[in-house]
Amino acid sequence: MSGLEHITPGILVMLGIAGIFLYRELKRVQGGYHHFIRRIPGIDAVEGAVGRCAELGRPVVFTTALTDVGPVLYACLGVLHAVARKAAQYKLKLIVPQYSPEAMALVEDTVREAYRDVGRGSSFDPDGIKFLSGEQFAFASGYMGLMHREKAGAAFMFGAFAAEALVLAEAGQQVGARQVAASVSPEQVAFFICTCDYTLIGEELFGASAYVSREPVQVATLAAQDRLKLLFVGFIVVGVLLATLQAWYPGLAAWMPHTLLSADWSSLAW
Amino acid sequence: MVTTHVPDTRAKLIRIFTFLGGIYFFLYFVLPESAVTALGMKAHHEQISNGFIVIGAMALGLGLYNIVRAHGSRVVFQRSGWFNSLALLVGLVAMIGATSAQWIENLGNTKDIRSVQVLGEFATRIIEDAKSPPTDRVVPPFAERVSALVRYGEGRVSLIESHTNASVEAGTNGASSVLVGEVRERTATVRAKLGEIKAMSWEQPSDDSLSRLTQFSQDAAKLASSYSIIKRSHDAHSASQKVYDFLFDGLFNQLGSAMFALLGVYIAAAAYRAFRIRTIESGLMMTAAVIVMLGQISFGKEIYEHMPSLRQWLLEVPNSAAFRAIRLGAGVAGLMLAIRMWLSIESKSFSSGRK
Repeated sequence: MSGLEHITPGILVMLGIAGIFLYRELKRVQGGYHHFIRRIPGIDAVEGAVGRCAELGRPVVFTTALTDVGPVLYACLGVLHAVARKAAQYKLKLIVPQYSPEAMALVEDTVREAYRDVGRGSSFDPDGIKFLSGEQFAFASGYMGLMHREKAGAAFMFGAFAAEALVLAEAGQQVGARQVAASVSPEQVAFFICTCDYTLIGEELFGASAYVSREPVQVATLAAQDRLKLLFVGFIVVGVLLATLQAWYPGLAAWMPHTLLSADWSSLAW
Repeated sequence: MVTTHVPDTRAKLIRIFTFLGGIYFFLYFVLPESAVTALGMKAHHEQISNGFIVIGAMALGLGLYNIVRAHGSRVVFQRSGWFNSLALLVGLVAMIGATSAQWIENLGNTKDIRSVQVLGEFATRIIEDAKSPPTDRVVPPFAERVSALVRYGEGRVSLIESHTNASVEAGTNGASSVLVGEVRERTATVRAKLGEIKAMSWEQPSDDSLSRLTQFSQDAAKLASSYSIIKRSHDAHSASQKVYDFLFDGLFNQLGSAMFALLGVYIAAAAYRAFRIRTIESGLMMTAAVIVMLGQISFGKEIYEHMPSLRQWLLEVPNSAAFRAIRLGAGVAGLMLAIRMWLSIESKSFSSGRK
């Protein structure tokens, strides 16, 4: 087995279970089932932050920072769609600084769609979607300049961040913007907690999109991922018990599930 | 599969391509190596992966287009901050210009170096063909080829001599006098060998003639090696390289470092805000931070003997547990979203449903 290039039986089982959970939840929401989603203060703050911008007459800034096209970007787009709708309703200037040209095309489409959804398609300003730089710190300096020039009233930082996270968040602090951040990079979460008014941690970023949109497909995905996570927690507990058992009876090692499920099956004849 | 809208042709096409792209990598990941090889996927994997890279590279053009469109229109219509946009566009053009000039110059030098390397290779090929005449192609007579070698060699040697003299006269070649002396010495050797070859009779290959050609081939290879060093050294001191170095290493990298250095100041400012003890949580955070900071320095050990161990425990146990929890949650959520993207089970906002 070389790395994760080819799957182990354990991962195959996990993928199968994930697929089953997703299918089941999709069927349930299709049948009219309503899932409960707990309140996420950071997402509740979105409306308040946008409302604040309307009161102050200052623009809203939303960045996906270093996020490239992938699941994280799609999760961010859900929230961006909601923010853009609010900005369109309140006739606010929305600025979305961009790092990735690929992501930029999707971001522009999402914002345009949000403006159309609330019947303000003609108010959409493509200049608001600004490509700053594909270089990390050049992007950060561009963002800082933009925040100071535009005096943003609210800043949303959603997606993947690296060392530039604190630079971006501090720029918002300096102009007194209300800031909501969400990152899947655990290393940057601490910086956001220090600097932002609200911080969504890890998977909350993925939940945020379902929370704001209440769109059935997204809610079903959220429910499926919660069930899968619960299963993982169960596995962790069982794993701890089995590892303890193995420490007492080393002879059981060959029969342990992790030995069987991580077996190298590349030697099988095909 | 849940759909909330009637898909149009564009959306259908996107779904089909997304699914096909996904199924390839899914199968490559799922199937054991033996099956991947048996199905022939292994042999073509690199080409297919390169194809995806090529598609990704097209984004470069998109990025360029976006920059020119966004900032160009601002300059043309003189909107607010147009001078910043102008500076960006001037920088863009300067960088493209410097990189292109450097590339073109390198291209010329690479061509010159290659033309000298060919000299030795040509001699070797003549020897090989003389020893075992090829059956799959027709080669000119031995004497004719040697004569062509001499003519070509004399041209190359003159070129090297003129390049070396020009570089020395310009005084900007950056090559050491030892290297220049070596090139001149090897050029003289090759020129002398060419003279000897020219004076001999080459009607039929003999052991003596082939031995002389072998010696010539080795000398030509040595000359090509020295010449390539002197040429590359010249490249490093060319005007285009200097402009590129100034723009990239002198400006761009230094500005990036300056931005990174801001972090030091910002961390202090952020820490000041975060460590004000207003709640139990911020109190805990402050305590943990003080322990980690004291555990990191030797003074901490003076205060409490086990401070470094305490720091280590905080980092390895509670901190790692929190990191793993975040990663697990984000990983599971990412997996679900990836399955949804692959099968195009998307809300109308992000697929079709255009009004």
